[in-house]
Amino acid sequence: MSVIVLLIVAGGMVAAGFLAAFAWAVQSGQFDDTCTPAVRVLLEERPHTTQEGIADVDLDS
Amino acid sequence: MRTASLELGPTADPVDRCRHCGEPCAGGAVRTLAGPFCCAGCESVFAILAAHDLDGFYACEVPPGVSQKHAEGRDRSRYAALDDPDVAARMVVYDDGRRARAMFSIPAIHCASCVWLLERLWRLDSGVFATEVDLLRRTIVVDYRPVATTPRLIAERLASLGYEPAITAEDGSAPPPAARRRLYLQLGVAGFAFGNMMLFSIPRYVNGAPLDAGFQRLFDGLNLLFALPVLLFSASDYFRNAWRACRARAMTLDVPIAMGLMALFGRSVIDIAAGRGEGFLDSFAGLVFFLLISRVFQQRMFERIAFDRTYRSFLPLTVRVERDGALTPVPLERVRAGDVVVVRAHEIVPADAVLLGAGGAVDYAFVTGEAAPVAVGGGERVRAGGRAAGSAMRLRVLRDVSHSDLARLWQNPVFARPKRRWLADVNARFGAWFTGGAVALAAAGAIVWWPDASAAASVATAVLIVACPCALTMSAPIALGTAAGLLGRAGLYLKDPAVTLDLSRIDTVAFDKTGTLTSAAERPAVETSGFAEDAWTLVQTLAAASAHPASRAIAAADHAGTAGQTQAASPTTAAEIRRPDRPLRPAPRATGVIDVVGQGICGSVSGTRVAIGTAAFVEAQTGAAPDGPEDAIFAAAGDARGWVRVFTQARPGIERAAAALSHAHDLVLLSGDHQGERSRWTRVFGPRMRFRQTPDDKLAFVRDARERGRRVLMVGDGLNDAGALAAADVGMAVSDDTACMAPACDAVIDGRRLASLPAFLAYARRARAVVIFCFAVSIGYNAIGLALALSGALTPLAAALLMPASSLTIVGLSSGAMRWSGRRMLPA
Repeated sequence: MSVIVLLIVAGGMVAAGFLAAFAWAVQSGQFDDTCTPAVRVLLEERPHTTQEGIADVDLDS
Repeated sequence: MRTASLELGPTADPVDRCRHCGEPCAGGAVRTLAGPFCCAGCESVFAILAAHDLDGFYACEVPPGVSQKHAEGRDRSRYAALDDPDVAARMVVYDDGRRARAMFSIPAIHCASCVWLLERLWRLDSGVFATEVDLLRRTIVVDYRPVATTPRLIAERLASLGYEPAITAEDGSAPPPAARRRLYLQLGVAGFAFGNMMLFSIPRYVNGAPLDAGFQRLFDGLNLLFALPVLLFSASDYFRNAWRACRARAMTLDVPIAMGLMALFGRSVIDIAAGRGEGFLDSFAGLVFFLLISRVFQQRMFERIAFDRTYRSFLPLTVRVERDGALTPVPLERVRAGDVVVVRAHEIVPADAVLLGAGGAVDYAFVTGEAAPVAVGGGERVRAGGRAAGSAMRLRVLRDVSHSDLARLWQNPVFARPKRRWLADVNARFGAWFTGGAVALAAAGAIVWWPDASAAASVATAVLIVACPCALTMSAPIALGTAAGLLGRAGLYLKDPAVTLDLSRIDTVAFDKTGTLTSAAERPAVETSGFAEDAWTLVQTLAAASAHPASRAIAAADHAGTAGQTQAASPTTAAEIRRPDRPLRPAPRATGVIDVVGQGICGSVSGTRVAIGTAAFVEAQTGAAPDGPEDAIFAAAGDARGWVRVFTQARPGIERAAAALSHAHDLVLLSGDHQGERSRWTRVFGPRMRFRQTPDDKLAFVRDARERGRRVLMVGDGLNDAGALAAADVGMAVSDDTACMAPACDAVIDGRRLASLPAFLAYARRARAVVIFCFAVSIGYNAIGLALALSGALTPLAAALLMPASSLTIVGLSSGAMRWSGRRMLPA
């Protein structure tokens, strides 16, 4: 029967892990905007456009 | 007499829609190879996007652009204010010299295409690294290189695309995300605990071999362990609110909730400690979980519809001040008494001031609602909020901005006192009644079972547990929140979901006229007694010399009736008012023009004496008394005499809407204008019209009506009737431009949707019916629970079934019913 105790402990730890992941997600701002990401993917980039502008992001250049 | 009514509605071909914004192309349309555009502004935005390979913006089915029709006259130079570090500091959230981050609020953001385009801002401005749009809150965060670009350049770039950032004189007051995140964490913890506790409790509930005593103790202990964070963290806001309510002696529904939660937890701990059973801990966690879901729901709704602007949003951000012989832009709050400022045509005078130099004209449309300009002589006083009508003016500021008359208009005590919402009233009264009832029933139950002390205690706590009005507190936020969200999608934005309930109880609707029933975007209609073509040309030529709105309408009108209706040569009057430098008509010009404020204008055109104005004025100028209706403007050109009536165009459908409203409501018209249009509105309002109403008159009317027990909805443009909007049960501001919202109102309605007002009010009444029905259902559940509790039969299993069942029913019922009704009742 004690295997059930072991399972409960293991299960609780897994669940706590998920709770911790959720807390991390909330704190890192993933729930701050639950609306925009859903529409962001709707319009896609046309294939011939390239993101040259990304080069600007390189701060050390 | 020949009557030519020149109504100019949007009669363009329905297929001919702007490629950029989808608005119908009428006068002022631009046609290019790429397609038709409703105005030059839309065309230029399209050109910018096409040149930068950003035409993917138009990939979606509906043209996603923001119409630029109303943007033409807007002074983009106002973004020069952002060069001032103090002003820019309101936008810039981070700056280390190499990389900076600024946040703009852009009311025009509305769809996926907006997100797509704005997040590709780096293609238009090489100084921008990245942008991130928040569609719900309509904000954009821009990461940029401060050496390559500035907040001002970014703002101007955004404005050139049709996304004008709103720059208010207030500090950005976005709520910190910490509170929002905390609620999500509370919900997560409660859900986590609830799920695990259900697992530990199920062995108790299912019939089978009795559980081993050791396991029972283990499960009870684990339940207690999981329940602790729910009590201390997830439910803490309810205890805090209840405590605050108790201290304020206001029994809101939070009090019985806190009582119920404490009874649940306390009783469970005692039961477990005494080895009497497993307690109600799973119900406890489930309850908190469901309550928090409704809280998250409520919060999301608040954010979606939140708008809050103060009167300062209407004032210019910077003022050109003369210092050392040069004009320097100075932020408004740093303008001091004694400064000499230059206000250009159509800008707002920021503070009470004295006019220097020669005379000018000012209109006080923002303050009094009267659009006709008033002549001001040199040395005379100009009040804050006036708008320079003719030419630029040099003014010496008399008082600091915060002390000006305009500021005082909004400092009226009606604005200082927050409105009492009916829901809050009901909540407080119901809460007291509910708490008292629950405690009394618990006591009664205890007395009945008295000789048996432990049974009495368990019955009393059971009563408190099931009496917990959680379903009750969920129904209103969810039903009203859903309703407010759907109303917002249909064009009526509520400041607070609870406004829905106040809307449902309205019995008197007061309308402002200018800007409310009529729209600045619609071209005024002109009705004349009939002039010969050449005489009419003379009258129009004279009228073109004046800045008065009626003159402008006369000058812009075509006389020939049918043929000229849609292909009007001149653009809309609205556009012209913004562009005074554009000649209204080609030569000949009027000479020797005398403009007598409040009476009329006269002069010579091609050698003929022409006069327009009041009957007395025309008679004095030309020697013959004209004849015509009382509310008309008279005109004489040589021997020709006649009259003209100018109507600002009613919004399409508004008369039908008013007729529909008048079945169940008293309609009143409160107009700041003269009586000129009385006859026109009699059909709708009957005798219940008041003209020449000052903002104070409107406020007094609304107050008086409320004192007589009427529940008043005031619909106005929010500028000269701000007091009335604030004093009414519901103040609804009409906005043609969502970028410009009024202060002191409870709701903002899109001008194009004003004709749907009857549907909105019907939907609000439906929302109230749904809330009442949900109340009845949840009280039904409570009654079942109470019957069980009083008979001592409320087992943990019964509680664990009953409570989530009632919560789920209420959530489903309230949001489902509002959605279903919304689909049927609201305009698409």
